[in-house]
Amino acid sequence: MTEAAKGPESFLPLTPAVFHILLALADGEKHGYAIMQEVEDMTEGKVQMGPGTLYGSIKRMLAGGLIEESDDRPDPTLDDERRRYYRHTELGRKVLRQETERMAELMALARRKHVWSGVG
Amino acid sequence: MRESHRAPASIDLSVRIYTWLLAAYPARFRADYGPHMVQVFREVCRRESRRGGLPGMTGLWARTSLDLIRTSVEEHIERGIDMTRENFVRWSGWALMAGAVLFAAGLIIGSFDSNWEDPIGGVDAFYEISQIVGVVFGQILFVIGLLGLRAGYASRSGGLGSAVLLIAVIGGIVSLGGMLFMNSSEIGWGAWALGLVTMTLALTVYGVVTIRRKVFSRWNFAPLLTGVMIPALFGIGIAMEASGASLAEWTFPLGVSATSIGLILLGFRMQAEAASTSQALA
Repeated sequence: MTEAAKGPESFLPLTPAVFHILLALADGEKHGYAIMQEVEDMTEGKVQMGPGTLYGSIKRMLAGGLIEESDDRPDPTLDDERRRYYRHTELGRKVLRQETERMAELMALARRKHVWSGVG
Repeated sequence: MRESHRAPASIDLSVRIYTWLLAAYPARFRADYGPHMVQVFREVCRRESRRGGLPGMTGLWARTSLDLIRTSVEEHIERGIDMTRENFVRWSGWALMAGAVLFAAGLIIGSFDSNWEDPIGGVDAFYEISQIVGVVFGQILFVIGLLGLRAGYASRSGGLGSAVLLIAVIGGIVSLGGMLFMNSSEIGWGAWALGLVTMTLALTVYGVVTIRRKVFSRWNFAPLLTGVMIPALFGIGIAMEASGASLAEWTFPLGVSATSIGLILLGFRMQAEAASTSQALA
Protein backbone atom coordinates (compact mmCIF):
# COMPACT_ATOMS: atom_id res chain seq x y z
CA MET A 1 0.00 0.00 0.00
CA THR A 2 1.41 3.41 -0.90
CA GLU A 3 1.50 6.14 1.72
CA ALA A 4 -1.03 8.18 -0.21
CA ALA A 5 -3.48 5.27 -0.06
CA LYS A 6 -3.51 5.33 3.78
CA GLY A 7 -6.39 6.82 5.73
CA PRO A 8 -6.04 10.24 7.40
CA GLU A 9 -5.86 8.71 10.90
CA SER A 10 -2.68 6.80 10.00
CA PHE A 11 -0.81 10.15 9.82
CA LEU A 12 -1.79 11.19 13.36
CA PRO A 13 -0.40 12.60 15.53
CA LEU A 14 1.38 15.02 13.20
CA THR A 15 4.82 16.41 13.97
CA PRO A 16 4.73 20.12 14.89
CA ALA A 17 6.45 21.02 11.60
CA VAL A 18 3.94 19.12 9.44
CA PHE A 19 0.99 20.54 11.40
CA HIS A 20 2.26 24.10 11.04
CA ILE A 21 2.94 23.67 7.32
CA LEU A 22 -0.55 22.29 6.71
CA LEU A 23 -1.99 25.16 8.72
CA ALA A 24 0.06 27.70 6.75
CA LEU A 25 -1.35 26.28 3.51
CA ALA A 26 -4.94 26.38 4.79
CA ASP A 27 -5.63 29.71 3.11
CA GLY A 28 -3.99 28.99 -0.22
CA GLU A 29 -0.87 27.76 -1.98
CA LYS A 30 2.49 29.13 -0.96
CA HIS A 31 6.20 28.77 -1.77
CA GLY A 32 8.80 27.68 0.79
CA TYR A 33 9.78 31.08 2.19
CA ALA A 34 6.13 32.18 2.37
CA ILE A 35 5.30 29.03 4.37
CA MET A 36 8.20 29.76 6.73
CA GLN A 37 7.06 33.35 7.22
CA GLU A 38 3.43 32.37 7.69
CA VAL A 39 4.42 29.88 10.40
CA GLU A 40 6.49 32.55 12.18
CA ASP A 41 3.63 35.05 11.94
CA MET A 42 0.99 32.55 13.10
CA THR A 43 3.05 31.59 16.14
CA GLU A 44 4.34 35.13 16.86
CA GLY A 45 7.89 33.95 16.26
CA LYS A 46 7.72 31.01 18.66
CA VAL A 47 8.19 28.50 15.82
CA GLN A 48 11.10 29.26 13.50
CA MET A 49 11.69 26.51 10.98
CA GLY A 50 15.05 26.13 9.30
CA PRO A 51 15.32 25.28 5.58
CA GLY A 52 16.21 21.66 6.44
CA THR A 53 13.12 21.16 8.60
CA LEU A 54 10.92 22.89 6.04
CA TYR A 55 12.05 20.92 2.99
CA GLY A 56 12.52 17.64 4.90
CA SER A 57 8.88 17.93 5.99
CA ILE A 58 7.76 18.96 2.50
CA LYS A 59 9.52 15.90 1.04
CA ARG A 60 7.70 13.56 3.43
CA MET A 61 4.38 15.36 2.95
CA LEU A 62 4.66 15.05 -0.83
CA ALA A 63 5.48 11.36 -0.47
CA GLY A 64 2.52 10.91 1.90
CA GLY A 65 0.16 12.70 -0.46
CA LEU A 66 -0.67 15.47 2.05
CA ILE A 67 0.46 18.26 -0.29
CA GLU A 68 1.20 18.62 -3.98
CA GLU A 69 3.14 20.99 -6.15
CA SER A 70 1.18 23.63 -7.97
CA ASP A 71 2.01 25.14 -11.35
CA ASP A 72 -0.24 28.12 -10.75
CA ARG A 73 1.30 31.47 -9.86
CA PRO A 74 -0.68 34.17 -8.02
CA ASP A 75 0.94 36.74 -10.29
CA PRO A 76 3.47 35.33 -12.80
CA THR A 77 4.87 38.77 -13.58
CA LEU A 78 5.83 39.35 -9.96
CA ASP A 79 7.23 35.94 -9.18
CA ASP A 80 10.34 33.87 -9.69
CA GLU A 81 9.57 30.95 -12.00
CA ARG A 82 12.16 28.78 -10.16
CA ARG A 83 10.04 28.81 -7.02
CA ARG A 84 7.92 25.80 -6.26
CA TYR A 85 4.45 26.37 -4.87
CA TYR A 86 2.69 23.84 -2.67
CA ARG A 87 -0.97 23.30 -1.80
CA HIS A 88 -3.12 20.88 0.21
CA THR A 89 -4.45 17.71 -1.31
CA GLU A 90 -7.86 16.45 -0.28
CA LEU A 91 -6.10 13.98 2.01
CA GLY A 92 -4.02 16.82 3.52
CA ARG A 93 -7.16 18.78 4.33
CA LYS A 94 -8.73 15.73 6.01
CA VAL A 95 -5.57 15.07 8.01
CA LEU A 96 -5.41 18.68 9.19
CA ARG A 97 -9.06 18.59 10.22
CA GLN A 98 -8.67 15.29 12.10
CA GLU A 99 -5.52 16.49 13.85
CA THR A 100 -7.28 19.68 14.92
CA GLU A 101 -10.22 17.63 16.23
CA ARG A 102 -7.80 15.37 18.11
CA MET A 103 -6.20 18.42 19.73
CA ALA A 104 -9.61 19.87 20.61
CA GLU A 105 -10.54 16.59 22.32
CA LEU A 106 -7.30 16.71 24.30
CA MET A 107 -8.01 20.29 25.35
CA ALA A 108 -11.54 19.35 26.41
CA LEU A 109 -10.07 16.54 28.46
CA ALA A 110 -7.55 18.91 30.06
CA ARG A 111 -10.41 21.28 30.90
CA ARG A 112 -12.43 18.50 32.51
CA LYS A 113 -9.40 17.57 34.58
CA HIS A 114 -8.95 21.24 35.60
CA VAL A 115 -5.47 21.27 34.06
CA TRP A 116 -6.43 24.07 31.72
CA SER A 117 -9.10 26.71 32.20
CA GLY A 118 -9.73 27.25 28.52
CA VAL A 119 -8.66 30.86 28.48
CA GLY A 120 -5.32 32.47 27.68
CA MET B 1 9.45 38.90 -6.69
CA ARG B 2 12.63 39.14 -8.71
CA GLU B 3 15.53 40.87 -7.00
CA SER B 4 16.70 43.83 -8.98
CA HIS B 5 19.44 44.89 -6.58
CA ARG B 6 22.57 43.08 -5.47
CA ALA B 7 22.69 41.57 -2.00
CA PRO B 8 25.38 42.84 0.41
CA ALA B 9 28.66 40.91 0.32
CA SER B 10 28.06 39.46 3.78
CA ILE B 11 24.82 37.82 2.61
CA ASP B 12 26.47 36.45 -0.51
CA LEU B 13 29.23 34.99 1.66
CA SER B 14 26.71 33.44 4.07
CA VAL B 15 24.77 31.93 1.17
CA ARG B 16 27.96 30.54 -0.38
CA ILE B 17 28.92 28.92 2.93
CA TYR B 18 25.40 27.48 3.36
CA THR B 19 25.45 26.13 -0.21
CA TRP B 20 28.75 24.44 0.57
CA LEU B 21 27.37 22.99 3.82
CA LEU B 22 24.47 21.35 1.96
CA ALA B 23 27.01 18.68 1.08
CA ALA B 24 26.06 17.20 4.47
CA TYR B 25 22.72 16.00 2.99
CA PRO B 26 22.32 12.88 0.85
CA ALA B 27 22.92 13.63 -2.85
CA ARG B 28 19.32 12.87 -3.88
CA PHE B 29 17.81 15.21 -1.27
CA ARG B 30 20.35 17.90 -2.20
CA ALA B 31 19.50 17.61 -5.88
CA ASP B 32 15.74 17.80 -5.24
CA TYR B 33 15.64 20.54 -2.60
CA GLY B 34 19.11 22.15 -2.35
CA PRO B 35 18.42 25.13 -4.67
CA HIS B 36 15.14 25.86 -2.88
CA MET B 37 16.77 25.65 0.55
CA VAL B 38 19.45 28.09 -0.62
CA GLN B 39 16.80 30.46 -1.95
CA VAL B 40 14.91 30.38 1.37
CA PHE B 41 18.14 30.84 3.35
CA ARG B 42 19.08 33.86 1.22
CA GLU B 43 15.75 35.52 1.93
CA VAL B 44 15.99 34.82 5.67
CA CYS B 45 19.56 36.21 5.64
CA ARG B 46 18.35 39.45 4.06
CA ARG B 47 15.62 39.78 6.66
CA GLU B 48 17.86 39.04 9.64
CA SER B 49 20.67 41.27 8.40
CA ARG B 50 18.19 44.12 7.96
CA ARG B 51 16.47 43.57 11.31
CA GLY B 52 19.22 42.43 13.64
CA GLY B 53 22.68 43.13 12.17
CA LEU B 54 25.52 41.01 13.55
CA PRO B 55 23.63 39.54 16.55
CA GLY B 56 20.70 38.72 14.24
CA MET B 57 22.99 36.91 11.82
CA THR B 58 24.66 35.07 14.72
CA GLY B 59 21.25 33.85 15.90
CA LEU B 60 20.29 32.86 12.36
CA TRP B 61 23.51 30.89 11.88
CA ALA B 62 23.06 29.17 15.25
CA ARG B 63 19.49 28.12 14.36
CA THR B 64 20.42 27.14 10.82
CA SER B 65 23.42 25.10 11.96
CA LEU B 66 21.36 23.10 14.44
CA ASP B 67 18.69 22.63 11.79
CA LEU B 68 21.26 21.49 9.25
CA ILE B 69 22.89 18.99 11.60
CA ARG B 70 19.60 17.53 12.84
CA THR B 71 17.89 17.27 9.47
CA SER B 72 20.95 15.99 7.59
CA VAL B 73 21.26 13.20 10.18
CA GLU B 74 17.52 12.48 9.75
CA GLU B 75 17.87 12.30 5.97
CA HIS B 76 20.85 9.96 6.22
CA ILE B 77 19.07 7.77 8.76
CA GLU B 78 16.09 7.62 6.43
CA ARG B 79 18.46 6.34 3.77
CA GLY B 80 19.79 3.84 6.29
CA ILE B 81 23.16 4.37 7.90
CA ASP B 82 24.55 1.90 10.35
CA MET B 83 25.90 4.28 12.98
CA THR B 84 27.53 2.05 15.57
CA ARG B 85 28.88 3.52 18.79
CA GLU B 86 32.43 2.97 17.54
CA ASN B 87 31.65 4.86 14.35
CA PHE B 88 30.06 7.65 16.36
CA VAL B 89 33.14 8.00 18.59
CA ARG B 90 35.40 8.03 15.55
CA TRP B 91 33.37 10.69 13.77
CA SER B 92 33.01 12.73 16.92
CA GLY B 93 36.81 12.72 17.22
CA TRP B 94 36.94 14.30 13.78
CA ALA B 95 34.19 16.70 14.90
CA LEU B 96 36.35 17.86 17.83
CA MET B 97 39.32 18.46 15.53
CA ALA B 98 37.28 20.35 12.93
CA GLY B 99 35.48 22.28 15.68
CA ALA B 100 38.79 23.35 17.21
CA VAL B 101 40.08 24.68 13.90
CA LEU B 102 36.81 26.50 13.12
CA PHE B 103 36.47 27.96 16.64
CA ALA B 104 40.06 29.24 16.74
CA ALA B 105 39.93 30.58 13.18
CA GLY B 106 36.56 32.26 13.84
CA LEU B 107 37.73 33.99 17.03
CA ILE B 108 41.12 35.01 15.70
CA ILE B 109 39.83 36.27 12.33
CA GLY B 110 36.89 37.95 14.10
CA SER B 111 39.28 39.84 16.40
CA PHE B 112 40.30 41.91 13.34
CA ASP B 113 36.74 43.31 13.13
CA SER B 114 37.25 47.00 13.91
CA ASN B 115 33.71 47.67 15.16
CA TRP B 116 31.73 44.94 16.93
CA GLU B 117 28.59 47.08 17.16
CA ASP B 118 28.14 47.99 13.48
CA PRO B 119 25.72 46.11 11.14
CA ILE B 120 27.18 43.27 9.11
CA GLY B 121 28.71 44.37 5.86
CA GLY B 122 31.23 46.77 4.41
CA VAL B 123 34.94 46.24 4.77
CA ASP B 124 34.56 44.10 7.91
CA ALA B 125 32.09 41.62 6.36
CA PHE B 126 34.70 38.88 5.93
CA TYR B 127 35.81 39.14 9.60
CA GLU B 128 32.22 39.24 10.85
CA ILE B 129 30.92 36.28 8.85
CA SER B 130 34.07 34.22 9.55
CA GLN B 131 33.57 34.79 13.26
CA ILE B 132 29.89 33.81 13.19
CA VAL B 133 30.43 30.67 11.12
CA GLY B 134 33.60 29.63 12.98
CA VAL B 135 32.25 30.06 16.50
CA VAL B 136 28.77 28.66 15.84
CA PHE B 137 29.90 25.61 13.87
CA GLY B 138 32.93 25.15 16.13
CA GLN B 139 30.73 24.93 19.21
CA ILE B 140 28.20 22.62 17.55
CA LEU B 141 31.06 20.30 16.67
CA PHE B 142 32.36 20.53 20.28
CA VAL B 143 29.01 19.27 21.57
CA ILE B 144 29.02 16.38 19.06
CA GLY B 145 32.63 15.61 20.04
CA LEU B 146 31.84 15.66 23.76
CA LEU B 147 28.83 13.38 23.23
CA GLY B 148 31.17 10.96 21.45
CA LEU B 149 33.75 11.27 24.23
CA ARG B 150 31.10 10.39 26.79
CA ALA B 151 29.68 7.56 24.66
CA GLY B 152 33.11 6.01 24.22
CA TYR B 153 34.91 6.67 27.47
CA ALA B 154 32.44 7.34 30.31
CA SER B 155 32.56 3.78 31.58
CA ARG B 156 36.37 3.84 31.76
CA SER B 157 36.47 7.22 33.48
CA GLY B 158 34.77 6.35 36.78
CA GLY B 159 31.84 8.09 38.44
CA LEU B 160 33.52 11.51 38.63
CA GLY B 161 34.81 11.34 35.04
CA SER B 162 31.41 10.32 33.71
CA ALA B 163 29.67 13.08 35.69
CA VAL B 164 32.00 15.87 34.56
CA LEU B 165 31.70 14.72 30.96
CA LEU B 166 27.94 15.09 31.28
CA ILE B 167 28.44 18.56 32.79
CA ALA B 168 30.75 19.45 29.88
CA VAL B 169 28.07 18.38 27.37
CA ILE B 170 25.43 20.41 29.23
CA GLY B 171 27.77 23.42 29.34
CA GLY B 172 28.35 23.12 25.59
CA ILE B 173 24.60 22.97 24.92
CA VAL B 174 23.90 25.95 27.24
CA SER B 175 26.60 27.97 25.46
CA LEU B 176 25.15 27.05 22.08
CA GLY B 177 21.64 27.90 23.28
CA GLY B 178 22.92 31.29 24.47
CA MET B 179 23.88 32.11 20.89
CA LEU B 180 20.25 31.75 19.84
CA PHE B 181 19.29 34.63 22.13
CA MET B 182 22.30 36.92 21.66
CA ASN B 183 20.18 39.04 19.36
CA SER B 184 17.40 39.69 21.81
CA SER B 185 18.85 39.51 25.28
CA GLU B 186 21.92 40.08 27.44
CA ILE B 187 21.05 36.73 28.96
CA GLY B 188 22.10 35.14 25.67
CA TRP B 189 25.63 36.50 26.05
CA GLY B 190 25.69 35.43 29.71
CA ALA B 191 24.55 31.90 28.84
CA TRP B 192 27.15 31.66 26.07
CA ALA B 193 30.00 32.63 28.41
CA LEU B 194 28.72 30.63 31.38
CA GLY B 195 28.24 27.53 29.23
CA LEU B 196 31.71 27.86 27.73
CA VAL B 197 33.36 28.26 31.14
CA THR B 198 31.34 25.36 32.56
CA MET B 199 32.30 23.15 29.63
CA THR B 200 36.00 23.94 29.90
CA LEU B 201 36.05 23.72 33.71
CA ALA B 202 34.44 20.28 33.47
CA LEU B 203 37.08 19.27 30.92
CA THR B 204 39.78 20.50 33.30
CA VAL B 205 38.47 18.19 36.01
CA TYR B 206 38.12 15.41 33.45
CA GLY B 207 41.77 16.02 32.50
CA VAL B 208 42.83 15.27 36.09
CA VAL B 209 40.75 12.08 35.94
CA THR B 210 42.30 10.94 32.64
CA ILE B 211 45.84 11.52 33.95
CA ARG B 212 45.13 9.59 37.15
CA ARG B 213 43.24 6.72 35.51
CA LYS B 214 45.15 6.66 32.20
CA VAL B 215 41.89 6.62 30.26
CA PHE B 216 43.61 7.01 26.89
CA SER B 217 46.52 4.92 25.66
CA ARG B 218 48.55 8.17 25.38
CA TRP B 219 48.20 11.98 25.54
CA ASN B 220 46.14 11.86 28.75
CA PHE B 221 47.05 15.51 29.33
CA ALA B 222 44.94 16.60 26.30
CA PRO B 223 41.63 17.22 28.20
CA LEU B 224 43.49 19.29 30.82
CA LEU B 225 45.18 21.35 28.12
CA THR B 226 41.78 21.80 26.45
CA GLY B 227 39.98 22.85 29.58
CA VAL B 228 42.29 24.88 31.72
CA MET B 229 43.05 27.97 29.63
CA ILE B 230 39.60 29.54 29.20
CA PRO B 231 38.56 29.38 32.89
CA ALA B 232 42.06 30.54 33.92
CA LEU B 233 41.93 33.54 31.60
CA PHE B 234 38.39 34.36 32.73
CA GLY B 235 39.49 34.24 36.38
CA ILE B 236 42.67 36.23 35.84
CA GLY B 237 40.78 38.75 33.68
CA ILE B 238 38.13 39.32 36.37
CA ALA B 239 40.80 39.65 39.10
CA MET B 240 42.84 42.12 37.05
CA GLU B 241 39.77 44.15 36.13
CA ALA B 242 38.96 44.48 39.83
CA SER B 243 42.40 46.00 40.38
CA GLY B 244 42.06 48.31 37.38
CA ALA B 245 44.44 46.42 35.08
CA SER B 246 43.65 44.39 31.95
CA LEU B 247 45.05 41.28 30.30
CA ALA B 248 47.78 41.70 27.70
CA GLU B 249 46.56 41.29 24.11
CA TRP B 250 48.69 38.20 23.48
CA THR B 251 46.89 36.20 26.19
CA PHE B 252 43.75 35.85 24.02
CA PRO B 253 45.36 34.08 21.02
CA LEU B 254 47.48 32.07 23.47
CA GLY B 255 44.38 30.82 25.32
CA VAL B 256 42.45 30.02 22.15
CA SER B 257 45.47 28.27 20.61
CA ALA B 258 46.13 26.11 23.68
CA THR B 259 42.45 25.13 23.89
CA SER B 260 42.38 24.27 20.20
CA ILE B 261 45.59 22.23 20.36
CA GLY B 262 44.15 20.30 23.30
CA LEU B 263 40.93 19.62 21.37
CA ILE B 264 42.83 18.51 18.28
CA LEU B 265 44.96 16.09 20.31
CA LEU B 266 41.88 14.78 22.13
CA GLY B 267 39.91 14.37 18.90
CA PHE B 268 42.82 12.65 17.18
CA ARG B 269 43.17 10.19 20.06
CA MET B 270 39.44 9.42 20.02
CA GLN B 271 39.26 8.67 16.32
CA ALA B 272 42.54 6.73 16.34
CA GLU B 273 41.53 4.53 19.27
CA ALA B 274 38.00 3.99 17.95
CA ALA B 275 39.38 3.01 14.57
CA SER B 276 42.02 0.64 15.87
CA THR B 277 40.64 -0.92 19.04
CA SER B 278 37.00 -1.78 19.34
CA GLN B 279 37.67 -3.16 22.84
CA ALA B 280 38.65 0.33 23.97
CA LEU B 281 34.99 1.28 23.79
CA ALA B 282 33.56 -0.42 26.83
